[in-house]
Amino acid sequence: MSDERKRTQVADVDRSLYDFTKSEEGYERYDDGLTPEIVRAISAKKDEPEWMLEMRLRALDLYHARPMAPNWGPSIEGLDLDHISTYVSPKTKQAKSWDDVPEDIKDTFERLGIPEAERESLAGVGAQYDSEIVYHNMREEVAEQGVIYTTIEDALHDPKWEPVVHEYFGTLIPPTDHKFAALHYAVWSGGSFVYVPAGVTLPYPLQSYFRLNAAGAGQFEHTLIIVEPGADLHFIEGCSAPKYYEANLHAGAVELFVKDGARLRYSTIENWSKNMYNLNTKRATIGADAKMEWVSGSFGSHVSYLYPTTIMAGDRGTCEFTGITFAGATQDLDTGCKVIMNGADTTASVSTKSISKDGGVNTFRSSVVIGRHADRARCSVSCQSLMLDDISRSDTIPAMDVRNATAQVGHEATIGRISDDTVLYLMSRGCSEAEARTLVVNGFANPVSKELPMEYAVEMNNLIKLEMEGAIG
Amino acid sequence: MAEKDLAPELTLERVNVAPAQTWNRLRTNDITLTVPARGRKGDVYFSLPRLFEGVECGMGREVTDWVESQAADARYIEIPRGEKREEPIVVAVGAGEVADTGVMVRAGAEATIVVAAGAGEKNGEAGTSASLVRIIAEADARVHLHEYVGVGAAQQHLESVGISASRDARVDVHQYLLGGGTVALGFACDLAGERARVDLGCRYHAGGTEILDINEIVRQRGRNTRSELAYNGVLEDAARKGLRTTIDLVHGAKGAQGNEAETVLVLGDDVVNKTLPTILCDEDDVAGNHGATIGSVSPEQLAFLASRGLSRTDAEQLFVRALYEDALMHAPCPEARAVVENDTKGQSLCIIEEA
Repeated sequence: MSDERKRTQVADVDRSLYDFTKSEEGYERYDDGLTPEIVRAISAKKDEPEWMLEMRLRALDLYHARPMAPNWGPSIEGLDLDHISTYVSPKTKQAKSWDDVPEDIKDTFERLGIPEAERESLAGVGAQYDSEIVYHNMREEVAEQGVIYTTIEDALHDPKWEPVVHEYFGTLIPPTDHKFAALHYAVWSGGSFVYVPAGVTLPYPLQSYFRLNAAGAGQFEHTLIIVEPGADLHFIEGCSAPKYYEANLHAGAVELFVKDGARLRYSTIENWSKNMYNLNTKRATIGADAKMEWVSGSFGSHVSYLYPTTIMAGDRGTCEFTGITFAGATQDLDTGCKVIMNGADTTASVSTKSISKDGGVNTFRSSVVIGRHADRARCSVSCQSLMLDDISRSDTIPAMDVRNATAQVGHEATIGRISDDTVLYLMSRGCSEAEARTLVVNGFANPVSKELPMEYAVEMNNLIKLEMEGAIG
Repeated sequence: MAEKDLAPELTLERVNVAPAQTWNRLRTNDITLTVPARGRKGDVYFSLPRLFEGVECGMGREVTDWVESQAADARYIEIPRGEKREEPIVVAVGAGEVADTGVMVRAGAEATIVVAAGAGEKNGEAGTSASLVRIIAEADARVHLHEYVGVGAAQQHLESVGISASRDARVDVHQYLLGGGTVALGFACDLAGERARVDLGCRYHAGGTEILDINEIVRQRGRNTRSELAYNGVLEDAARKGLRTTIDLVHGAKGAQGNEAETVLVLGDDVVNKTLPTILCDEDDVAGNHGATIGSVSPEQLAFLASRGLSRTDAEQLFVRALYEDALMHAPCPEARAVVENDTKGQSLCIIEEA
């Protein structure tokens, strides 16, 4: 009976939602590997300003010069840049109407529900397919408020916005930051540029969706968001890829500038395929009285290094980080966050959940640094880990560095499993064991999913249900 | 010319290394120490039985090798099976001294071990002292370990402890780290047997420009093992403290529980307080918990104490005095008591003797 019920439950989730591929026939694909010629070719194709090419070439040198940290983090031995193509582009131009998007690509995004979401609940959508943005659109009434939502490439070709990109691009995450930041700046392509003028509040979120279709390829999109004083934005980022038996690489960068009194919520549902090395870098700097909210769900990828960082530069800023990570078979997900509190009276709250099953490895890694001038700063960190079997692993490595006598820091971490009593109770009420465990896991994840818009919370719950398939027996 | 002026120095680069590392830019993974490297040639010294080589020590292999190379005769003590030794085993380490001690507590036996570093020292004497203590606790053994460290502002002290605990062994540890130019303490406890247990209480105080570096590792290998770690410290002036704690719930340790809690009172504007509390979990039927509170005396506490006539400074010093008085009250031998009395840093202690 219980097996039957389990199968019925799993059949509700369409696994083909993410695991489908489209032919690359006719696509422009650069040679595997990383050379100055490839970097120049990407830059030339985008007809970039000279400063950008120089930055790319400097970053390439840095990438080759910088070693990986030898003493921490999951292994990335399976990643060989000599077998990764850093640029793959479908034969299409960026469209403003889904009707102008090639049929196979449109079909991809329709299956992922992007056009429907755009119609119902978004202020604008960008859709990236492999290395290039294929669709970008924003509601007229939002554009009329002076909001800019476009690609970095288009912004670089606009005389009004090129100086702005030049001023901000690569300043929050410099190419010297780490090896894969350098790689990103050498070969970046696609992504979004968002500018929200002072005092403007967007009624609906903007969303960028990143789909990596090509096998053995990398995606290196750059997201640059500037929220001017008093403005308010919710930005959603989604990503997925079909599964291949060769490594794919995602090394994007997200730079967020949240000015005085502004608010930015940045939500991510990451569902990369389990052959993906996800070496993404996200960083925000916030001004006085500003608020930064991160909501992060990490379900996919083979290996992840992901630690969204918030630099609280101004006084009275607020940062909230809510995250969940689900590591299943073959996954080694090293995730967490960093908070750097430099302003007085700043407040930060970190709440994370992680679930490990089927041999998956979860590492929660965080750092809270409270600087000398962060008078009366307050920070709380809570990290809860759930182990669903005895072949999985969950580590918690939180670092704290406090340099102000008036600051208050609280931290708590717990690791445990679903109690037999809870499962037994739910089974006595008619649930199968699988359903009972899924219920508990959904409840465990609820504080994160409730932070998401309804459509994405449903997607996250579906992902949990999908991941829980076969969690017992 | 003094001997120390002639002594070459040795840099130990990977000391107090946490089993799980994190971002190197935080500079919290380990500490680098410079120690004297006095050569000894042509002498035959007594070393510990080889069984002790397998005991993991908190400060790491480099420090173990260095202490073994520097210490004169190692001291080996064995508590026979079933015997309760009333008299504590005292390891007293003075300025510039290095001690290597191994204690075998046979099945069902009980022993109290006291490490007293700094007894009889005068501030101003520079030098490096070190103590390496390795303990093997056989089944049902009881071990009481007291560590008292209070060396001078110009001195450096290294204290490395390794314990291996078998089935149903119980270890309780009382650490009082009362300051010193640089104090580095490493503690490792391997709960190898079923139901083995360690209870550790660490109280520390650092002021001035003192450096305190602590690395504590509990590996829970046996089923139903238990660890309870509690840290409570006060940091003043421009003191720098690093605390790495690791509870390692090893695969197979079903039913194991590890709990760790830290409370830090930060009283100085130039204090640097780094903490890396790690839980490693390779088993599902376990529980690991950690909690930390870092901050200053709360306004509510200050208001209450002000209503009793205490200024802010008086109130803050109350916490420091409480720490020293606690150390003195629980000192199990004159050597430990001397460490506290030598290191009161101007505190006027008033201890009510226990009846």
